[in-house]
Amino acid sequence: MDMKSLYLLIALSPLAGAIIAGLFGWAIGRRAAHVVTIAGVAVSAVLSLKVLYGFLNGGAVFNETVYTWLTVGGMEFSVGFLVDSLTALMLVVVTSVSLMVHIYTIGYMSEDPGYQRFFSYISLFTFSMLMLVMSNNFVQLFFGWEAVGLVSYLLIGFWFKRPTATYANLKAFLVNRVGDFGFLLGIGLVLAHFGGSLNYADVFAALPQVKDQTIQIIPGVDWSLMTVTCILLFVGAMGKSAQFPLHVWLPDSMEGPTPISALIHAATMVTAGIFMVSRMSPMFELSDTALNFVMITGSITALFMGFLGIVQNDIKRVVAYSTLSQLGYMTVALGASAYSVAMFHVMTHAFFKALLFLAAGSVIIGMHHEQDMRKMGGLRKYMPITWITSLLGSLALIGTPFFSGFYSKDSIILAVEHSNLAASGFATFAVLAGVFVTAFYSFRMYFLVFHGKERWMDAAHPASHHGDHADEEPDHDHHHGLGPNDKPHESPWVVTLPLVLLAIPSVIIGYFAVGPLVGGDFFNGVIFTNLAAHPGLAAVMPHAEHAFEMGMHAFVTLPFWLALAGVVTAWVFYMKAPQIPAAIKKTFAPVNTLLENKYYLDEIYFAVFAKGSRALGTFFWKICDMLLIDGLIVNGSAKLVGSFSRVVRRLQTGFIYSYATTMIVGVLALITIWFSQLIFG
Amino acid sequence: MSFPLIVFYVLSAILLFSAFKVVTAKNPVHAALWLVLAFFTSSGHWLLLQAEFLAIALVLVYVGAVMVLFLFVVMMLDINIEKMRAGFWQHFPLAATVGLIMVAEMVLILASPQAHLAGYEAAAPLAADASNVKVLGLQIYTTYLMPFELAAVLLLLAIVAAIALTQRERKDGKYVDPAMQVEVKAADRLSIVKMAAVRDEPVINETNEPQA
Amino acid sequence: MNWADLNLMPALPEIFLLAALSFILVLDLFIPDEKRDVTYGLSLLTLAACAALQLATFEPFATTTFSGMFVDDPMADIIKVAMYGVTAAVLVYTRQYVADRGMFRGEYYTLSLFALLGMNVMVSSSHFLTLYIGLELLSLALYALIALRRDSAAGTEAAMKYFVLGALASGMLLYGMSMVYGATGSLAISEIAAAIASGHSNAVLLVFGLVFLVAGLAFKLGAVPFHMWVPDVYQGSPTAVTLMLGAAPKLAAFVFIIRILVQGMGELSGDWQGMLVLIAALSMMIGNVAAIAQTNIKRMLAYSTISHMGFLLLGLLAANEQGYASAMFYAMVYVLTTLAGFGVLLALSHAGFECEKLEDLKGLNQRNSWYAFLMLLVMFSMAGIPPLAGFYAKFAVIKSVVDLGAVNMGFGMVSALYLAVFAVMMSLVGAFYYLRVVKNMYFDDKQSDAPIVVRGEMKVLLSVNALALLVLGVLPQGLIELCIEAMRQSLAVL
Repeated sequence: MDMKSLYLLIALSPLAGAIIAGLFGWAIGRRAAHVVTIAGVAVSAVLSLKVLYGFLNGGAVFNETVYTWLTVGGMEFSVGFLVDSLTALMLVVVTSVSLMVHIYTIGYMSEDPGYQRFFSYISLFTFSMLMLVMSNNFVQLFFGWEAVGLVSYLLIGFWFKRPTATYANLKAFLVNRVGDFGFLLGIGLVLAHFGGSLNYADVFAALPQVKDQTIQIIPGVDWSLMTVTCILLFVGAMGKSAQFPLHVWLPDSMEGPTPISALIHAATMVTAGIFMVSRMSPMFELSDTALNFVMITGSITALFMGFLGIVQNDIKRVVAYSTLSQLGYMTVALGASAYSVAMFHVMTHAFFKALLFLAAGSVIIGMHHEQDMRKMGGLRKYMPITWITSLLGSLALIGTPFFSGFYSKDSIILAVEHSNLAASGFATFAVLAGVFVTAFYSFRMYFLVFHGKERWMDAAHPASHHGDHADEEPDHDHHHGLGPNDKPHESPWVVTLPLVLLAIPSVIIGYFAVGPLVGGDFFNGVIFTNLAAHPGLAAVMPHAEHAFEMGMHAFVTLPFWLALAGVVTAWVFYMKAPQIPAAIKKTFAPVNTLLENKYYLDEIYFAVFAKGSRALGTFFWKICDMLLIDGLIVNGSAKLVGSFSRVVRRLQTGFIYSYATTMIVGVLALITIWFSQLIFG
Repeated sequence: MSFPLIVFYVLSAILLFSAFKVVTAKNPVHAALWLVLAFFTSSGHWLLLQAEFLAIALVLVYVGAVMVLFLFVVMMLDINIEKMRAGFWQHFPLAATVGLIMVAEMVLILASPQAHLAGYEAAAPLAADASNVKVLGLQIYTTYLMPFELAAVLLLLAIVAAIALTQRERKDGKYVDPAMQVEVKAADRLSIVKMAAVRDEPVINETNEPQA
Repeated sequence: MNWADLNLMPALPEIFLLAALSFILVLDLFIPDEKRDVTYGLSLLTLAACAALQLATFEPFATTTFSGMFVDDPMADIIKVAMYGVTAAVLVYTRQYVADRGMFRGEYYTLSLFALLGMNVMVSSSHFLTLYIGLELLSLALYALIALRRDSAAGTEAAMKYFVLGALASGMLLYGMSMVYGATGSLAISEIAAAIASGHSNAVLLVFGLVFLVAGLAFKLGAVPFHMWVPDVYQGSPTAVTLMLGAAPKLAAFVFIIRILVQGMGELSGDWQGMLVLIAALSMMIGNVAAIAQTNIKRMLAYSTISHMGFLLLGLLAANEQGYASAMFYAMVYVLTTLAGFGVLLALSHAGFECEKLEDLKGLNQRNSWYAFLMLLVMFSMAGIPPLAGFYAKFAVIKSVVDLGAVNMGFGMVSALYLAVFAVMMSLVGAFYYLRVVKNMYFDDKQSDAPIVVRGEMKVLLSVNALALLVLGVLPQGLIELCIEAMRQSLAVL
């Protein structure tokens, strides 16, 4: 099989599964729907592994146009594949996590009436994500970008009968529009100034000519073209990868089913922004301003989103905020020009965060769709596999030496410490403080869920889990919480198998991958880092070559002790002396309120954007329709359809006057503008 | 100032005034009569341009036929134009302002030296025996054949539209079909329905609300 | 002119249309009400025959007849064939609707054919006089169609408004034409173009006339600030007529503008470009923003039309072949989209029920997922979401603006990039209310259980229509090249 058909097969087999399950799901039944989609993704996953294996042994980069969509005015739109080591890595991450999630879904969604639809969506998502990472041009990148977004909205609103779910899905949509707008403008600038092509290779080839150009967006003010382009592109990444202040949609997206949270909102789609910036590394390397911007955004996200994780009580939201914080880490790494480290963290994070999400989902199944951690506790006896895998995932997340998260996170911290950008001081503080915070909320969750008193007994009630699902239909399978005499039970094997399979890479992959990915030449010629100008990565590389020494060395470094302190604090607070957090909460009530309200960002956005645009709409409606039309009518309040007399009255009182006046004023305006010289002398 | 120019301005003044009165007259019959005057003065303009046939056509068709018909309708229907125009004077200032600005701008533009309207010379006078009708006829049936035919289609459309909009079967129509009267049978007029002798108790619905 | 020279072949489809229309008009008198389907069938047959004649008499270059007043060029051919198709689709879609509302009469079909004849004349005229008569033919037929349902007060009122404002706009158009006549001494498009190119015509008078021409044309498109009739007329007319009004006439208006502004006054593009920029920007803004506040879907689509006309103008104001071609493509896609959108609304309406509130679409997916899917395609295409045809249409017009450089705005030169960015922003704003419809259909509970009964031929045609948006979005190349080629051939001659 030649490479082109191999790559086509990787991309298209999930699509085939999605089409069969989506269009004929009603005919082939539930079992066939999951068999066909899992088969499609499994084919992709196996072939992706083959591709990655090829690149580990020095495979050749593939860059070819597969299909030309249309040519217009000298511009070509085509579907093309660029497969290099970066793509290969993403292929493996996407397909393997997707495969796990597919299997897991069999158990998680077993009672859901939208079973086939769900499988169709997640396969469609996998296809879109593959098209995104395999793209060799900006247009296809943007299409993939929008397509994964679209499926993500569909899936957030999967339980569309919940008003919170439809709200969350609308919110995700609107916030992502802001990012996409920046992204589109960025692509527009690339098209306008970088040689007129949207092919990556052509654009990068044009960089030497344009790197010192300036543009005037506000007349008279020169801005560096590279900086503006990079920042605009990064704004796109901020939307998709949920960076502050465009992160607000991600926590709400937890309204979607848990497999989705694991696949889309933790492992793959949200890392698309990170992937995109890494792909554009030759451009970002040319603008220190843009890198500083990236780094600041990342550090704010890494630290402040971690804080929010501390006050959450919904098990999925804790993991969601932890995802935000980890995405911040990746972004900081990008800012420090350590793109390979960022991609490394993307990979390790994909495994351990998918694991944590799926484990949280398993807990939710075991607790009969109870998501409030305050009503759990002591689950380790009842759900041993979930317990062990969660523990492994949490240890990986907080960066315990030799676990996968350790290698990637420590590399990030090292790179940031050695970065010479202006923002690196703050970033260093943020990532170090973030280590403590991460450890604290991770183990707070772990202790609350798996250890301590079994609290579901006294909390047993059928009420809502976070207060806003009260209006849901009672016949649904979401009868929340356990009855007083129920016991949690371990989930079926289709749920626990993916947990085990994900736990393995969560523990070991860092040890094996850090050498080639960070220390070695895996990304040579693909990711471009100007080591002389940005020494962050250079400081990491010597360590990364020796994984074992790096792990041993960790015990004498600050991050390890910070993480340990976090774990211990969590243990003291939630196992030993639960009165302490309560007291703290009381003492620092304003801080707590601020955190519980997520820094009031939702309220601010709602007040400014949602109300603002609505007000604008109402304003025009009022001006056009009310003031000019109804306003000119005596008693003019009637609806258009009314009794005949009312219509006559309205006709008499001069609708048409105002319309005609508007038209004449329009003509007058045109005359005045075009003959201003004659009229005003 | 030449005599034709003086006539032009006088006619134009009358035309503008009568047009204004058409819109503002209180009595619809008066309005129609003002319109007649407007048509007359416009036909005067045609005469100034040596287009006698068009001048006569305007008077014959518009004044003679259209306006007379219009007057009949107005008088027969007894339309209260005041009611239809309620609010007219209220908005008059706005309309007048816009109109005046428009006039001012047009004057400034067209009278400016750049517009150079003085460069247009008067058309050469036609020979005394030149026939308007002959020229028009030749043009209409040769060069302007297509617009002429299309104008006929437009008239056909107007007829169809007018009939479509006005012809209706009246619910209170008194028209009877003699054939149907002859063919009628007793069973069509009267049918006997057998019913049990039951008296319905009046239903009292307490929640009954008047329909909105 | 010599009668022997009169070559009627280029105008054969129009002549046939008029003859067939007269035949149907007379025949209909003898058809009893219950056999009205004969009229319906004959009208469809006429449209098919017209399309066949149009294709049979196709020439890849422009031919003129009737003393140069009638021109038959590839652009006209393509647009006319499209208009036959669109009109046929309208008749099919509205068959049940008009029957349910007492409008299933011969006049409905003859008036529609009259309107089509008017559009054909607009498309094929190369003389101000015939252009104007074509326009009036179309308008008069539309006024009558809107008021055809006499017991509907809203319809009567809408017709009245459209009539009065249309008369005002016609007045502006005529005034502009007379100014141009004064400046160039001719009403024939080619002679006007030659007179302007020679540089001897009065520039002030020309631009002065141009302003009025632009105003009259903008009214026909329904562009701001000459748009006030659009929402009221769209909402007040019976949905069947709204569709008639919103579909094919936009194609005719597009060619109408090409004939007047491009072929006639192309030399003045520096002046009308700026005017169109203003009108386009205002249309995109007011159309998109006001649509958000609407609860009536017909009114919402009316505002959406206003914004789409703004986008259409983007292509025209580029004042180059590529721009015109993209505007032509936009017009075609727009008409196809509108057709499908109103088609679904018509399918959901039934005797005694008008589907015109946004709530009426709630839970459509639960009632009938196929129609919900078709509507989803329509909304996505209108919002310009890839891979639907609307995306490429928007992209093409915006691209033609980007390539433009600077535009004369009366008070000075302004970069066209601002307009392009503004257009992108507005299309994002627009996405909101289109997607609200999708949300209504997919995420809300159904409000009614009324079965959706649709005639077989409509079911098929509507599905083909909506799926065409998808197909055109994936494979737009053919139609684009057709538009470019047609523009090249048609603009080369005059």
